[in-house]
Amino acid sequence: MNAGRIPGMICLLVLMTSTMIASGQDVIDFLDIEKDKLKLGFIKLTDCAPVVIAKEKGFFADEGLQVEVVAQPNWKTLLDNVISGNLDGAHMLSGQPIAATIGYGTKAHIVTAYTMDVNGNGITVSNSVWREMQKSSPELNSPKPVHPISASALQTVVDEKLAFGEKLQMAMVFPTSTHNYQLRYWLAAGGIHPGMYTEADPAGGRVDAMVELSVTPPPMMPATLEAGNIQGYCVGEPWNQQAVAKGIGVPVATNYDVWKNCPEKVFGVSKAWADKNPHTHIAVIKALIRAGRWLDETDSKGNLINRQEAARILSRSNYVGADYDVIRNSMTGYFYFQRTDKREMPDFNVFYKYHSSYPWYSDGIWFLTQMRRWGQISKPMPAKWYDDTVREIYKPDVYLTAAKMLLDEGKIEKEEIPWTSDGYKPVTTDFIDGISYDARDPIGYLNSHIIGNKDP
Amino acid sequence: MKYSLLKIIHVTGLTFLEPIVRLCYGEEPALQLKKIGRFIVVPVVAVLVFVGIWNWGGPQLKTKSGEVPTPGVVAEAFRGVFQFFVRENTKEDDYILTGETRQAELVRVEQRLNDLAALKQSADARVAELEIGRDEFLAKTVGPVQKELNDLSEEQTSQEKAMLDAIKQTAAGITEKSSTTDREALIAAMVKYNGLKKVNNEKLKRIQEKLTNISSVKYQPYLDALKQQTNVVEEIIFLEKRKELLTVGNRESKVAQSEADLERLKSEFATATGAQTLGLANRIVKTEERLQTMEKSAYAKPWTLPLQTLRSLACVFTGFVLATMIAVPIGILCGLSSTFMAAVTPFIAMFKPVSPIVWLPIALIIVGGLIPDPDNHWLLHVLEHLPLIGWMKINPAFIASAVTVALCSLWPTLVNTALGVASIDKDHMNVARVLRLGFTRRLVSIVIPSAMPLIFAGMRISLGVGWMVLIAAELLASSEGIGKFVWDMFNNGSSATFAQMFVVVFVVGVIGFLLDRIMIILQRLVSFDGAPAAI
Repeated sequence: MNAGRIPGMICLLVLMTSTMIASGQDVIDFLDIEKDKLKLGFIKLTDCAPVVIAKEKGFFADEGLQVEVVAQPNWKTLLDNVISGNLDGAHMLSGQPIAATIGYGTKAHIVTAYTMDVNGNGITVSNSVWREMQKSSPELNSPKPVHPISASALQTVVDEKLAFGEKLQMAMVFPTSTHNYQLRYWLAAGGIHPGMYTEADPAGGRVDAMVELSVTPPPMMPATLEAGNIQGYCVGEPWNQQAVAKGIGVPVATNYDVWKNCPEKVFGVSKAWADKNPHTHIAVIKALIRAGRWLDETDSKGNLINRQEAARILSRSNYVGADYDVIRNSMTGYFYFQRTDKREMPDFNVFYKYHSSYPWYSDGIWFLTQMRRWGQISKPMPAKWYDDTVREIYKPDVYLTAAKMLLDEGKIEKEEIPWTSDGYKPVTTDFIDGISYDARDPIGYLNSHIIGNKDP
Repeated sequence: MKYSLLKIIHVTGLTFLEPIVRLCYGEEPALQLKKIGRFIVVPVVAVLVFVGIWNWGGPQLKTKSGEVPTPGVVAEAFRGVFQFFVRENTKEDDYILTGETRQAELVRVEQRLNDLAALKQSADARVAELEIGRDEFLAKTVGPVQKELNDLSEEQTSQEKAMLDAIKQTAAGITEKSSTTDREALIAAMVKYNGLKKVNNEKLKRIQEKLTNISSVKYQPYLDALKQQTNVVEEIIFLEKRKELLTVGNRESKVAQSEADLERLKSEFATATGAQTLGLANRIVKTEERLQTMEKSAYAKPWTLPLQTLRSLACVFTGFVLATMIAVPIGILCGLSSTFMAAVTPFIAMFKPVSPIVWLPIALIIVGGLIPDPDNHWLLHVLEHLPLIGWMKINPAFIASAVTVALCSLWPTLVNTALGVASIDKDHMNVARVLRLGFTRRLVSIVIPSAMPLIFAGMRISLGVGWMVLIAAELLASSEGIGKFVWDMFNNGSSATFAQMFVVVFVVGVIGFLLDRIMIILQRLVSFDGAPAAI
């Protein structure tokens, strides 16, 4: 090639680089929405609130998105619809994107850049089991027993059943749901073995179980409990309050007791969709962040000011649809454990504070450790695998880009977002059994439990 | 006149009107009155008796989800469903309102909001007041039973504990030298202990049930006040949303906003230099593009029962047409050739009893395979831009439901067509032979006209079957329609759920009835000799 042309090529290179930088800056202040008509799925649970609120309060519209919010009959269909492209994104169980990506159950690469809420689940037992628990642990026999209640109070009931060759039956909503892991954690912390997933029983998770767990869709929980097929369940709201309202069961623990501020639902989209519509993804996350913020807005005295309205909106039949007074209980910071036992639980549903909507790597790793602990991941994995896998799924960079834009627009405050975090929360012992969780050491964490798989 | 009226009545199958017409023309009044009594008065009385029994019997049947709704409650639920439809349509209209009408609507909305503020205050006050009443009521009804339950439970616990302690003591006292009688005494004590526990549990359970029953009795004035409050608050939320859609959320204002942005960008662009211009040019182009879609955009509203019903009708119609297109040709071939009939019979016998629940997943998988990327499929794009059915948003779930309907409902048409063709008068066929008519000519002039009444009788059954199957298919495929509505409302588990199910019963029933009537009319129109009277 001729030497005279080299300066020209350098010029061209410089021009290209500067164009790239210019378009890189472009992402920050102008979103070039690839798709403006979206369909988002949800399951009828109160923690779908950010999606519903973002639509009803016009946060999606502010981003130039026209969003249809569609109820899905169960978690499996919801996931299938996201994968097939019938839905652009959905309210998902935290475990769903992880399980789908590592290929447990339906295999597909799902990513998440937004945690919809923390806490919000409860464990309910039937009236007769509750009576038995009261008999064996007399301290529960009061109008307001001391919480948290350990699963060891359940031991006598479990033993009695086992003596007759039966097992206590409890339900959760999906094999990879937070509820499954929380219920297992609660039982195991009380010394009751909830059963393992093995090659022989990959879907049931009943090997060595003292209590058998099965899958029931959330809205069917109270009816199944009433019919006597199960003696207890772990589910999100409003289905625990529904049991109290109907007088068919007693919530004994919330997941706040099991692990303070544990991640619950995420907003999931397929990797293919996120790659094809990066700006739309950011726009959706922006609207969701504002919705979460709106839901957690408080007055000067610290009272949640928008939750009543949120409960009204959610009680509409095309959203959650349960009665307003039932939804209101947990949404406005109350929880009925029995008709006579109403307690304040201001953090029962948290959508935004405590940096909870940020997609923490450490949260994803906790679910991976639980999948390994109960045998859904059948082989031991090295610690690095946990970190690599979670980085495939959790996308804090999308979240931070969206948050940065909102900050520039003056819609959020600087201290509300963990700007400089590396995605790992500090080590915590906020569990019912006080075991310390360090996400950087998943193997050590696995080995610190008595029940469940242990890895070298 | 009289005869044409009677003819219409006959064709439409509305035979109960016949005596009225005849009576009006003064034909045998006594006989006509008797007929009126039998065909009009008796059914009306039967309906009234049914409503009466329902009204009385409903509340007797109590479940934990509330009592069986009375006709009044169902009517209320129907009103609620319809109101939702009306409100969503209003929002849709508001979004595209422009100019002075928009301002006028805004004034009206604001006025109503002002009125509601006062109403809300009084509703809130009433609820707060009755909350105290409710607590007193609960303390009076539930309180004693709860106490009874707690006392009994405490008593039983101590009783059982005492007994167990005694047994433990006996057990501890048993040594190597103890006699068998001592050992047996321990067994006897254990049996007694277990017996006591069982009896105790029974007692507890009985009181527990009593408690559940008592606490399911709600304090009515409080519920009424709550309902009042809910109505007011919901209207306020609705109007607030309307206000938003009439002001900042309105299409006109959003377009104006975008245009302003565009102007600003253009002026910036006019003075910009170097690499900056590139970014701005890109933004101008994109904003212009967005402006164009925005100008045509509509409010994204949720599905409501009336629209879902229309979509269900479209779906059943699609499935029905598909079924007819498959069943009639095969049926004709079966009727014409007994060899072909023999070949096809095993398939008819085997596939006919298969339930829609089985066909649907298969249909879903196949349709999903044919339309892998629903967003960018040409067929769905074409359907979306058709004038009358575009709003139905036809998707793979819709197609799978329609296919399921077709697979389940084609059998009666097929069998009836075969029968109709096979039983054509031999003389007709002989005439065709004598005239040396070709196959097509024979088909068109002899076979199809002769078999028409039976074909239509089959199609009528098929449509009925299809309509029943559709609800289940939509429910499973979660394709928007009546089936999805049923499932969503059931999943809501709210106090209105029960009544909403009854609303669906009537909607489905009335539409099924109308479809059947339409098919009867068609059947009568194509029969040359007066088809057998239908009920």
